[in-house]
Amino acid sequence: MSISVNGQSCVPPGFRFHPTEEELLNYYLRKKVAAEEIDLDVIRDVDLNKLEPWDIQERCKIGSGPQNDWYFFSHKDKKYPTGTRTNRATAAGFWKATGRDKAIYNSLHRIGMRKTLVFYKGRAPHGQKSDWIMHEYRLDDPATDTAAATVAAAAAAADGGQEDGWVVCRVFKKKHHHKEYSGGGKNGDGGGKSAAAAAQHAYSGGSSGDDALDQILQYMGRSCKQEQEHISPPPTATASGGGRTTASRYLRPIDTVLAGHGFMKLPPLESPSAAATPAMSSSSTTPMITGDEHLLLHHRTDWAMMDRLVASHLNGHSDAAADDDQLCNFAAAGDADASLAFYSAAATRLLAGGNDDDLWSFARSAAPPPPSATS
Amino acid sequence: MGGATNLPPGFHFFPSDEELVVHFLRRKVSLLPCHPDIIPTLLPQRYNPWELNGKALQAGNQWYFFCHLTQSRTSSNGYWNPIGADETVTSGGRNVGLKKTLLFSIGEPSEGIRTNWIMHEYHLLDGDCMAGGSGNSTSSSSNRKSHRKRGHSSMESNNWVLCRVFESSCGSQVSFHGEGTELSCLDEVFLSLDDYDEVSLPNK
Repeated sequence: MSISVNGQSCVPPGFRFHPTEEELLNYYLRKKVAAEEIDLDVIRDVDLNKLEPWDIQERCKIGSGPQNDWYFFSHKDKKYPTGTRTNRATAAGFWKATGRDKAIYNSLHRIGMRKTLVFYKGRAPHGQKSDWIMHEYRLDDPATDTAAATVAAAAAAADGGQEDGWVVCRVFKKKHHHKEYSGGGKNGDGGGKSAAAAAQHAYSGGSSGDDALDQILQYMGRSCKQEQEHISPPPTATASGGGRTTASRYLRPIDTVLAGHGFMKLPPLESPSAAATPAMSSSSTTPMITGDEHLLLHHRTDWAMMDRLVASHLNGHSDAAADDDQLCNFAAAGDADASLAFYSAAATRLLAGGNDDDLWSFARSAAPPPPSATS
Repeated sequence: MGGATNLPPGFHFFPSDEELVVHFLRRKVSLLPCHPDIIPTLLPQRYNPWELNGKALQAGNQWYFFCHLTQSRTSSNGYWNPIGADETVTSGGRNVGLKKTLLFSIGEPSEGIRTNWIMHEYHLLDGDCMAGGSGNSTSSSSNRKSHRKRGHSSMESNNWVLCRVFESSCGSQVSFHGEGTELSCLDEVFLSLDDYDEVSLPNK
């Protein structure tokens, strides 16, 4: 493919096609979805199932210069006969989602989501991980622009309806680049320290607002959650006995995460009486509760609800779980801030419910549950 | 940024080392016009890295400018200290330039506090270039000859250098828009955790 802009035959030296995420979503993907003409045909359509990652370079070449990343549109309509998961298998391997989806924001609001996938050679579950990485970008459901106020709508946008339609993908090879930062110079910057430095950066939260600890906790909890699904029945109001043991295992992480943000303080388990004041906020949040959420509140109280809360926190990423519970998926799809917002919303909603839905009843039921908590 | 072009969205100034040396630095040294002429020249006194906005060419979260190499790489708040080994920039199999990496520290030399600000300083090796500069060339950099592997300094062209300044995140060298072809630290962690996933959940 050759680049021709206004009769000039090439891109000026030093310039590359390396779009920002906002450009990918708001210009290219939006135009693609709207079937508008795109000035320059730099992003091609490919059938992901028929294209091996090592063929992408040739297929998606732009100009003649060296390229480190490749872009294409893909239409997600290939599904397995059962379930809603996208089939991302090729002849030689498959793309597997890793981490969890990241919300993409422009300066004003959320514009889409990014899923990170890794190519494995072979067939699941015995694939061999490769260095090929794909970022798959999808637009937010336009309906949420107006209805973004409610958690339910946001959750629907985050997970519902995402398995169909156009996505734009960036494919690149993972670099093993740790030598370049400090390269073993004379200042005692051993190259081997880079990994540690990187980890340190992750924990200091210095970059792009990611709360690394939160995300790692969340991710690590994913397998715990799956385990939990195997050993305990679906949480209901009457299943609080089974839920209590599993939930208590998670109290520590959730406590830590929340305390780290100074966001929502759980009272000490021994002092449920200290819990009266936070209910003040109920009046402002009550109107946000929809019918569905009321149902949820009234059917899942106590430890069961705490389970949901914790599980939603620990839920890894939306692609893995065919869970139809929107609350869970909301936390799965958002970034750290989004899930914190979820917590705050969930907490205030619990408080707003009053009575048995009082959040602090969780604390009380750490001791043998009082009658009101199981009613 | 880079207002000299009317490229469609998605095209950004993202030059390779070779392009920086061959298309920009060499032309600058040779007093030839650069096309596009987008990289400004800054006065010898060095700015603090966070003061470059609006003065240097901004491309993503990187800033580009030409300047004369001065004796001391200090600014009002700190100094640039070389780290790592110099890299050779090649074009068509020939060495055309040298790329030094420096780190900005706040405070007095030798007792400064390190920052995340990184500078890549590109020097021309004037094998085939007609030196257009004023010729007070290598004295300023001679104090660093010692860590040059192959003694390029004698061939080093006049004292124009091309600088790229950026704030390093995640311990990696370059993140152009803070996104793109680099995985974040977090992604790396997720990726490695996937291996444990496979072990603990064979039925997944």
